[in-house]
Amino acid sequence: MTAQEVRLCGLLLQEHFGEVVEKVGTHLLKSGAQNLRTIIHETGLSVDLVKKSLCVLVQHGATTFSSGRKGLGSPTEYHTSCDRILRILRYPRYIYTAKTLYGDTGELIIEELLQRGHTTMSSTVKTVADRLTQNMAEGRTMDYTEVSSTFSKLVETHFLQRCPPLPGVGNKDSSAPIETPATPGTPAAPVNTAPPTPESFPECYKVPSVTLIGRGKRQLASEDGEEQRSAKRAKMDPETHGDEGIYWQVNFERFHLHFRDQTIISAVANKLDQTSSEIVRTMLRMSEVTTSPMATCTKPLSANEIFRSLPPSYNILRPILDQYLTLLVDDPMEFVGKAGESGGGMFVVNLHRALANLARATLESVVQERFGSRSARIFRLLLRKRHLEQKQVEDFAMIPAKEAKDMLYTLLSQNLVQLQEIPKTPDYAPSRTFYLYTVNQLPTARMLLQNCYKTVANLIERRLFETKESKRLLEKSQRIEAILASLQASGAEPEQLTEVEEMITAPEKQQLDTLRLHINKLDSAENQVDETIFLLESYINSTNASS
Amino acid sequence: MAAHGRGQRTLSFTMETVKGDAPPPSVQQPTPVFPVMEQKPLPLTGGEEAEYLLALKQDFRGAMRSLPCFIQPLVTNRDVERYSDKYNRSEQMDKLLDWAPDWKRFPRELRVHVRKPARDSVSAAVQSPPPPQMKKKGVKDKEEVLLKLESLEKKEEQETSEDEEGETKKKQEEEEAEGEEEYDEEEFEEETDYIMSYFDNGEDFGGDSDDNMDEAIY
Repeated sequence: MTAQEVRLCGLLLQEHFGEVVEKVGTHLLKSGAQNLRTIIHETGLSVDLVKKSLCVLVQHGATTFSSGRKGLGSPTEYHTSCDRILRILRYPRYIYTAKTLYGDTGELIIEELLQRGHTTMSSTVKTVADRLTQNMAEGRTMDYTEVSSTFSKLVETHFLQRCPPLPGVGNKDSSAPIETPATPGTPAAPVNTAPPTPESFPECYKVPSVTLIGRGKRQLASEDGEEQRSAKRAKMDPETHGDEGIYWQVNFERFHLHFRDQTIISAVANKLDQTSSEIVRTMLRMSEVTTSPMATCTKPLSANEIFRSLPPSYNILRPILDQYLTLLVDDPMEFVGKAGESGGGMFVVNLHRALANLARATLESVVQERFGSRSARIFRLLLRKRHLEQKQVEDFAMIPAKEAKDMLYTLLSQNLVQLQEIPKTPDYAPSRTFYLYTVNQLPTARMLLQNCYKTVANLIERRLFETKESKRLLEKSQRIEAILASLQASGAEPEQLTEVEEMITAPEKQQLDTLRLHINKLDSAENQVDETIFLLESYINSTNASS
Repeated sequence: MAAHGRGQRTLSFTMETVKGDAPPPSVQQPTPVFPVMEQKPLPLTGGEEAEYLLALKQDFRGAMRSLPCFIQPLVTNRDVERYSDKYNRSEQMDKLLDWAPDWKRFPRELRVHVRKPARDSVSAAVQSPPPPQMKKKGVKDKEEVLLKLESLEKKEEQETSEDEEGETKKKQEEEEAEGEEEYDEEEFEEETDYIMSYFDNGEDFGGDSDDNMDEAIY
């Protein structure tokens, strides 16, 4: 929980949940697990607001609560972790992936679940059906069964999972949480302290039998007030559908596996060609269900199997496939490895190796873009040769001595390159010590990851600043838009519309356009930095698992 | 990293005194906040996917603001009392009432009973301070009653409670105002602005001599 992470989490909470939740959340992040009284006392907020914020945080999975440390009698403690809050940056990507895989219905289901945190299947299906109905042509409505089937598909492919039942509250049938290999790094921890993962419960991916018959309701503009009132009455109406108490949440890990696969496939496509990427895609698709999330590589697949499972549009001959596989194995990026000779050759996709190489490529490109291609050459050299003296660096990189020295010092001052001393004598006399330059990939990746968090936090702050600067102008334009919309709805003449539009002067319009451009740029920059964050985080987590 | 702390200029100084070259100049102040970049950064990747992601992100942010989980404290800066306050307050209360999570999934201590305006426990809490104030008012003078009314009005503005409480207060104020009006009317009959001794009932009219016409009659 570094300072940069806490700052970024605070900004994300502020943008999505308001300032009160931000205050409570950052306080919990900084001070670890605390009970309610302490939180109220230290944040200085009113009791009601703190309770509501904690409810919101628990609802969205950012905070977990457990009985206190001192035993059963002590008050419940609340614990927040950065990871879940940092996922908020990736929400657009999750929604977009759902759209590509399952269409608009899938997109809206994921969006609903991300907005609400934990919901039941029936409420999600109803809300999504209503939203889809609104966007459809007049007279057509969306059937609940269609939405339910998409929901079931999402659960089958593990993109959605059930929220784990609370410890002690749940039924006695479910056994005590099993320490699955999915929880990283705690093989010998006692069962009580580590929180159970959702996957340790056997019914994690079971779709409940829900009786949902109906169609989406279209909300008509004229009956808006009545609709809202009837909607409120419907909420208080105890309509049971047979799935009370079963809450669903988005399974981020599954999405991350999907992103990882996509990254590997596109990397192969960029480096080699389309056919090789199709082969890798086939291999990954075949091993989707057999590979555990933390596996180093997929299960070995024989060339015969791969040949049979290739998509029918790619009718390449068997010897060509063998050639492609040999090419992939020999490639220095080591995406595909050979694991045996039976069945025409057993091949695996080296997942961890691929992630490490992709992270390495990211580091190299960072150095290149910041310091120039010659510094990047030195950096790559040090990555491959591990330890080099200054003289050797100059010789291998073929850069004149003075410039090589300057570049090395710049990289050293940015902490991208480290110095290792190897003494010849027990006193570290400078004349009798070897000074070797080295690059360590993992610590450098961690440092860059923190830089990325800082970058995103800066981008968000700049965007908030720009919005605040032009707040008056934005409010004015919003009011004018509202007036225009109401005029158009009530059928006004074009002259009235132009008159209202002219209330914004030309320079103001220009200012608004520039503002919009800046905000869009800052937002897309955040999205792009998040891609790098994902890559570096996956790499770091993969090293955690294997170590 | 063994050389982590030594990655500064001082070490290279040592190295260079050994090697005999001049050391690079050491920097004695913090780096500038916006340093000049030798290489310009690459432009952002555009494309359809990036734009769609951007739109999704902005829509999501906007949608979150309108959900009940977006909590904002009731802002109480009343420099001037505005007409729209009455409508804004009711809007916020609706949002809070909308969200009813499954309380079984939360620890019991977090349960917040959001009361609808017409709940007894809340208005009962409000009613207990005003009655003693009312009794006190009956005793004090008119000016102090006015002052109390003004302070009550201010208190009403500062309170962040629901509308009904304000209405109950208004009712109480109306009662007090009515009491004061009655009081005024009574006083009115006794202390008029017209001094009774100046009243002529017409008997002396014309009895005054019109002899001295020198005096101007205003």
